[in-house]
Amino acid sequence: MKNLEVTLAILKPDVLSHPIIAQCIKNTILRNNFFIVRSQTVILTKQKVEEFYRDHKGKFFHNRLVTFMQSGPVSAHVLARQDAISHWRKIMGPTKVFRTIFKEPNSIRGQYGLTDTRNCAHGSDSPISAAKEIQIFFPDFSIDEWYRSKGHLFTRDNVVFDEQSQAHVLLKDINSSRVQYITNPITNIGNVKGFSFNKEDS
Amino acid sequence: MAGLKQMSTLVQSVLRTTGNSCNKCGQRHASNLYRREKRKKEKEDSVFQHLGKNYQRTDRVYVWGNATTGALGIRQLHRPEKNRSTVNTVSRPRRLSFLDKYDIKLSDVGTGYGYTVLCGKSPNGPLLMGCGVNLDSQLGYQEYPKNTGRLLDVIIEPVPIELPLIEPSTTRMTQVACGRLHTIVLTDKEGVYTLGNNSYGQCGRPTVEGEVYRGNQIVHKLVTPDSNIKQVVCGLDHTMLLTEGGQVYSFGLNADGQLGSGTYQSEFTPTMVKGDIEGEKIVHIACKADCILAVSAKGDIFGWGNSEYNQLSSVTDKTQVNIPRHLPFKHVGRVQRVCATGSMCGLINESGKVFVWGFGILGKGPKLQQTGTPTEIPMTLFGNNEFNEDVHVKDLQCSLNHFAAITNKGDLYMWGRNIAGALGFGHKQDQFFPMKVAVPCEVSSVHCGVDHTIAVGKAFA
Repeated sequence: MKNLEVTLAILKPDVLSHPIIAQCIKNTILRNNFFIVRSQTVILTKQKVEEFYRDHKGKFFHNRLVTFMQSGPVSAHVLARQDAISHWRKIMGPTKVFRTIFKEPNSIRGQYGLTDTRNCAHGSDSPISAAKEIQIFFPDFSIDEWYRSKGHLFTRDNVVFDEQSQAHVLLKDINSSRVQYITNPITNIGNVKGFSFNKEDS
Repeated sequence: MAGLKQMSTLVQSVLRTTGNSCNKCGQRHASNLYRREKRKKEKEDSVFQHLGKNYQRTDRVYVWGNATTGALGIRQLHRPEKNRSTVNTVSRPRRLSFLDKYDIKLSDVGTGYGYTVLCGKSPNGPLLMGCGVNLDSQLGYQEYPKNTGRLLDVIIEPVPIELPLIEPSTTRMTQVACGRLHTIVLTDKEGVYTLGNNSYGQCGRPTVEGEVYRGNQIVHKLVTPDSNIKQVVCGLDHTMLLTEGGQVYSFGLNADGQLGSGTYQSEFTPTMVKGDIEGEKIVHIACKADCILAVSAKGDIFGWGNSEYNQLSSVTDKTQVNIPRHLPFKHVGRVQRVCATGSMCGLINESGKVFVWGFGILGKGPKLQQTGTPTEIPMTLFGNNEFNEDVHVKDLQCSLNHFAAITNKGDLYMWGRNIAGALGFGHKQDQFFPMKVAVPCEVSSVHCGVDHTIAVGKAFA
């Protein structure tokens, strides 16, 4: 079995201001067999956003991207899966929403994206940038250490999805007093009320 | 005539068989029976309209689109009756019976990103209501039960929105406009009020870093430079005010130059838009996303803001235009109304013809098109033919990816991307040319949200 890969996924402020779409995208993540290792919802400061998007500095959309990302809460997730980086970018769809809605209507941006800037989500483009971006949002999270201590244990049978921390946890780590909060990941997907603009689903 | 002749022969044959004669003269007359039969037939053929003298056609409001947000305002979709299931999308027009139940007359409707604001008059006085997503307090502070602090994030039926008015019983709300997360309400006596997210200053007050908008109780009364506001318009994250004198004021997000101020810095104070529209009397402005179009009293058209999809490419190659530019479209004639989606633009000229340009489903065939100059949509598609030669389009509205046009006959035509059945055709396939929506009323105005549509009209009879 191939090793898990780690990527950073960010749900942008336009998603978090719409509770139904936020729920739908979280369902999509779980349905695509991603393990959510860490989750965090924060309101970013201007400094942090500029640090995050320093590669885009000088491009014409840099200003509007920075102002948009600091306009509201964003939720960052460390996702783990085989080929996580490429798969997350694939289900997310291309950046330009006005073209994506016709080219890839079933991707996340194709279904829920508003405009080219307000495009639902962000994903790292390479393992190096993933490591950098995870460091910005989760300074206490070390990828190497996670691989060594827990990464090899993350399989479908060994983990459950914890609603409280919005992340997958190992069954052996569960404190017996917290068991009541934890639900089975498989049943969880079926039970969560979601809605899809997807033409096939409806 | 043929019928009458036939009947007279029938009457004669009847007379011949019965042999009745007149009591006075002893002769046989056909007239009585003939008249009686004629009257009976007339009664059968005639159509009666049982309308009183003071009858007025009632207002009808129809809603369709994405129902999960509660923006349609129909409670039964979320709390179904016994043996019914919840409804996610309403892809055909459905009557908003809430207004009939409480006898509310609408004056304007605002449709935003997953929420609706209705303003009108109830028997008890002027009323402002809202339903849908309320995560950024765009529908005001809503809690239930009262004084418990339990916030309502999604509201499934219209609830009253309270404004801090000085005379709440007489001040009427005349217009309402909704952006992505903020609401602008125009009153007739007490100016402009703003609610909701203010992260770019789109509510007209200074931006506070780290302000939490969920459960926010602030309703801001806008200090407008001119007291005669004619029209309020919201983009996704900015606001425009049009005065009676024809000036445009703007505030909010300016990353694409939406404010037309010459900079790319967001502003919270209403500042007058200059550039090419300075000195012109603007009569109508339109924007739904980040591109803004304005029409002057002379019928000229001006544009600024985002131009990534050739919306303004006739005058500039830049993708962000931060100063209003005059768009030299000579072949369209005098322009009456305009509309601007995220990537497309449309206009109606003085003879009621529709022109479109930009990128996306323009409504001219089964392909995506990109053009910088307006091209006409054939009027045949709006029901103009040799039997109905006087049909023209009187109103053009749009959302982020679709258009809606109303003809002078009260028919509603829609085309574009069919997100969650918001085009109202009963399916979710994209529509590549204008098609009539089966709204059972004479539509007078249509309001397009991102994924839902509201049509207001009069009953047919």
